[in-house]
Amino acid sequence: MTALPAPIGLLAELTHRCPLGCPYCSNPLDLVRASQELDTKTWTRTLNEAAELGILHVHLSGGEPLVRNDLAELVNAAHLAGLYTNLITSGVGLSAQRLTELRAAGLEHVQVSIQGVDAARADTVAHMKGAAKAKREAARLVVEEGLALTVNAVIHKGNIADVPAIIDLAEEWGAGRLEIAHVQYHGWAIANRASLMPSREDFLESAKTVEEARKRLEGTLVIDHVMPDYYAERPKACMGGWGRQVIVVTPDGRALPCHAAASLPGLTFDNVRDRSLGEIWQGSEAFKKFRGTAWMPKPCQGCERAEIDWGGCRCQAFAITGEAASTDPACELSKDHARMRGLAVADAASAANTFRFRRIGG
Amino acid sequence: MTDDPKPRLATGVKMRTDAARGAMLLGPERILELDDIARSIVAQFDGTKRVSEIAATLAKEYNAHAGEIRADIEHLLKDLTAKGYVKP
Repeated sequence: MTALPAPIGLLAELTHRCPLGCPYCSNPLDLVRASQELDTKTWTRTLNEAAELGILHVHLSGGEPLVRNDLAELVNAAHLAGLYTNLITSGVGLSAQRLTELRAAGLEHVQVSIQGVDAARADTVAHMKGAAKAKREAARLVVEEGLALTVNAVIHKGNIADVPAIIDLAEEWGAGRLEIAHVQYHGWAIANRASLMPSREDFLESAKTVEEARKRLEGTLVIDHVMPDYYAERPKACMGGWGRQVIVVTPDGRALPCHAAASLPGLTFDNVRDRSLGEIWQGSEAFKKFRGTAWMPKPCQGCERAEIDWGGCRCQAFAITGEAASTDPACELSKDHARMRGLAVADAASAANTFRFRRIGG
Repeated sequence: MTDDPKPRLATGVKMRTDAARGAMLLGPERILELDDIARSIVAQFDGTKRVSEIAATLAKEYNAHAGEIRADIEHLLKDLTAKGYVKP
C-alpha cells in the first residue's frame, strides 16, 4: 500500500453565523452556535498543522467568516504558515477598511456569492434586503484592492434563466473566475428541493451557454461548472474522493471528510481540540471509512471509474437510498438511479415556490 | 498579445514548491504542477522581462538555442494564458 498523500485543501468553517438565509445553504440543518466556536488560538494552531501536513489552500468560510472579529488574525496566521488564503464570503459586511486590513494580513483571493442578477429576486433568496447591493459593492472593493475575485452563483430553478446574464455580470465586475454551481442537494437544499430543482431541459440549455462562454472568454474568465447530480449519468468525485484531498473543520472543531458528512449515521468525528490535523488525517475512523476503494459495493467494486469518481457522494447515497455505502444514485449503474431522476423531474414540475430559509435553530 | 510580451502571473496566482509535489502554480481552488522546464520559465514571468529576454537568459543557462527555447516559452505562455494562470 502506498503512503497516504497529503490533503490539498482545508475548508475552515469559522462560524455558522450568517446574515443571509439562503435556502440551499451547504451548512447542516443542525447549526453550531457562537458559544461553541473555536477560539483564535485553536484555529491558529489548526492552520499551522494544516500547512505542516502539506495542505496548500485554506478556504476561510462559514457561515459568514466576516462576523469573526479575529478574521484578519486568522488570515495572517494562514499566510505566515505558507497557505494560499481564500475568503469565501457573502460580501455582506465587507468594508473598504476591513478589506485593506485583510489584504495586509495576507489575503490572496476572495470569493463573493451572488443569488442572481435581479436585486429584488436575489434578496428574496438571500432572505436579506439590500444583500445584492452589498455584494456588488464588495466585489467592486475586491477588484479595486487588487485582489483576485471569484463570483460564485448557485443555480436553481429561480435563476437558471439568468445564467447568461450572470456570466456577463462576472465579466463586468472584473472577476477572474466564475463558479456556476448548481445546488447540491444536502441538508437545507433537500428541504427546499421542490422549490429549487430546475428542469433537465433548462439545465442542458444553461450547460450549453456555459460551454460557449468558456470558449469566448478563454484567458479572461475561468468558468467552473458544478453540475447537478440529479441529471448526471455518472457521479462526481465528491470532494476529490472521500478523505483524499480535503479536510473540513466545523466551527466547533470537528474534522469532516466533507461538509455534509455529519448527516451520515454511525460516524464519529475527531475534534481539532483533541487531536492534531495530521493525526486526524491518518487515523480518524470517519476519514478511513470510505477512503479508497475497498469499501465499495458492486457495481463500483472493480469499475473502471472507481478511481476516477471514488464512488461519488456518500451523503447523497444515504439521502436517497438510506445506505451510506450504497452506489451513488447519480450513477446510471445504481439501482436507485431512475428513482432519483424521477424525484428531480417531479420537483422540477412542482409549483412550489416557498422556501424554508436557513437559520440557527431552524 | 504583442509579439514580445512581458508575461506575469495572473492576480491571485503564485508559485510554490514543496518537497513532495515539486513546483506548482496555486490559484483559487486550482493547482498546476510544473515540470523542471516549465518551472524555470514561469520563474521568469515577473512582468518586467520580455519573452525574447527570457529566451536569451535561459538559452545561456541551459546552453541551448534561443530560438528553440523561445518556441517552448511561447507554447507554455499560450497554454497558461488560456488556463488563466498567466497574463501576457
